[in-house]
Amino acid sequence: MIPLIQNETLKVLRRKRFAVVIGILFAIQAIVTYSQYRTLKNRDTSNWRAEIQQRIARYQDTVRRGRVAPTWVSAMRAEVNRLQFYLDHDIEPDRPSVPLFVRNFANVAGFLLLPLLIAVLGSDIVSAENAEGTDKLLLTRPVRRWKILASKLVTLWIFATLTLLCGALLCLIISTPFLPRGGWTAPTFTGFRLSGSAVQLEGVHQLPLWKDALIAYGLEWFALSCVAAISLMLSVLFKSSAAAIGTMLASLIGGTILTRVSPDWTAGKYLFVSALPLADYYTGTPPPYEEMTMAFCITLLAVWAIVTTAISFAIFTRRDVFG
Amino acid sequence: MTQPTLVASHLTKVIGKRTIVDAVSFSLGPGEVFGFLGPNGAGKTTTIRMLVGLIRPTKGTVTVCGHDIQRQFEAAMRNVGCIVENPDLYRFMTGRENLEHFARMLGVGRDEIERVAALVALAHRLDHRVGTYSLGMRQRLGIAQAMIGSPIVLILDEPANGLDPAGIREMRELLRGLARERGMSVFVSSHLLAEIELMCDRVAIIHKGRMLREGTVAELISSRREMEFRVDDVARAAQIIAAQGLQSRVDTDRLWVPIEESEAPPVVAALAAGGVAVFHAQRHVETLEDLFLQATGGETVG
Repeated sequence: MIPLIQNETLKVLRRKRFAVVIGILFAIQAIVTYSQYRTLKNRDTSNWRAEIQQRIARYQDTVRRGRVAPTWVSAMRAEVNRLQFYLDHDIEPDRPSVPLFVRNFANVAGFLLLPLLIAVLGSDIVSAENAEGTDKLLLTRPVRRWKILASKLVTLWIFATLTLLCGALLCLIISTPFLPRGGWTAPTFTGFRLSGSAVQLEGVHQLPLWKDALIAYGLEWFALSCVAAISLMLSVLFKSSAAAIGTMLASLIGGTILTRVSPDWTAGKYLFVSALPLADYYTGTPPPYEEMTMAFCITLLAVWAIVTTAISFAIFTRRDVFG
Repeated sequence: MTQPTLVASHLTKVIGKRTIVDAVSFSLGPGEVFGFLGPNGAGKTTTIRMLVGLIRPTKGTVTVCGHDIQRQFEAAMRNVGCIVENPDLYRFMTGRENLEHFARMLGVGRDEIERVAALVALAHRLDHRVGTYSLGMRQRLGIAQAMIGSPIVLILDEPANGLDPAGIREMRELLRGLARERGMSVFVSSHLLAEIELMCDRVAIIHKGRMLREGTVAELISSRREMEFRVDDVARAAQIIAAQGLQSRVDTDRLWVPIEESEAPPVVAALAAGGVAVFHAQRHVETLEDLFLQATGGETVG
């Protein structure tokens, strides 16, 4: 199995897909770092309390006018409560810094950017062999097909992990020269829960930032592993990588729109996209459907991963390979 | 009788309602080069894909060195090296990386790579990307990867494709050598009849999914030996020959009589006595092409 994984890893690297992924991450983070740096420079930190109060007022105003979708309303309520909590404890939230930048990458990129990059890596792993005709050589070796697919899945997991780690590392490297460096042990508050219109504060607990970041990255890693399994299935189903990437893109965006547009259609909670922003839900963003607890989301993603993997193996090991 | 190395028995593939391959059976022994001939769409490639386990047969079995390809895939394929259709290798990797890739799958060492590269005379370009190779070089690299792990059965789909005449000759000698010296069984599909004739011990002709003929090249050809006579008056010559109790096929200026060379002089004498001028009398050896055209009803070879 190890030689097979070695082969697959070599092919991913030689195809230069991973280089593209790192390049995209670098470009995006450079831009975000710069914008954070500008914000930091232009801001008067002496009266951050006034600024936060202003933000709270703005959210409350928007909610009162009732022109936004219910999901946005609850998100804004949650944000208001979070900010108020920081005000009450006299801690300045969201002040740009290296640790916060690194930590927030898990939330911000975790929802759309990283799943897409994993899809780019994953979509090629089977369908490119099919398109280039190399599957004929790969599958006529004395190695069972399930072993070949398993090695591809493991390789994809390795690269999903690497993508996340490289993302965090790039954040750290790029932002270090520009943003304040300290604050890994600064307190953060998590566990805000919304029930109806009220926010429950009893679950809120304080964590040092580094611990909070580890949890967020752990959740994100789990979500990405499931995305990897799903994109492997797309790669098995489609002959062209473009179709596989396109389908993944469409389901990520389409699923999000669906949950926002028709929050009453509660079956939407079973879409993997609904459960994907695990790190966001952990931080306090309310999920689109009330019943979606953290345990539900994790189970849902795991079920998606297991079912799609089962489909991948069932098809890959049985199908006839024509030209 | 030695144990056959590759046996196909009643191989059948039905897709939808169409029967692509219909009860194809043959067997190869060690040291034998077997040619597989057929026009486009005859089911050649589907048959080859079934031989190497890419396609599951609807009916029938493939056995390699006693191992069933469906039930004992690993054991069977350990003895097989193949190229199916084009030699599609990883273009973004070098020749060496490609060979290493397949060597790792078989669990064989690096010295094996040097050995197979030397076998197809590719050592000097091994560190270039396959994308920069000519078709002939890719064909050779394809053979090299098929030879990794010293398989007993070699299955090659159109191995002469993309090679220049010198390359074809080298390939022929290489394959014949592998069969003769190492006792390998070589299965070759080709549309170059002359190649098959020069290279193969036995030939099968497949058409519309069915095997039409199978036998040694000598058998297939000598089964229809004729004498060819070129004469001035074909009609009269035919009469004279018929009077001798022989059959003949006629053309505008010549006729063919199914007799051995030794039986020709009396016929020539009879023709001369009957006033027919004989310009030319020759043993007509049917080529595989004649045979092929007869067998497939004159369809083009591909």
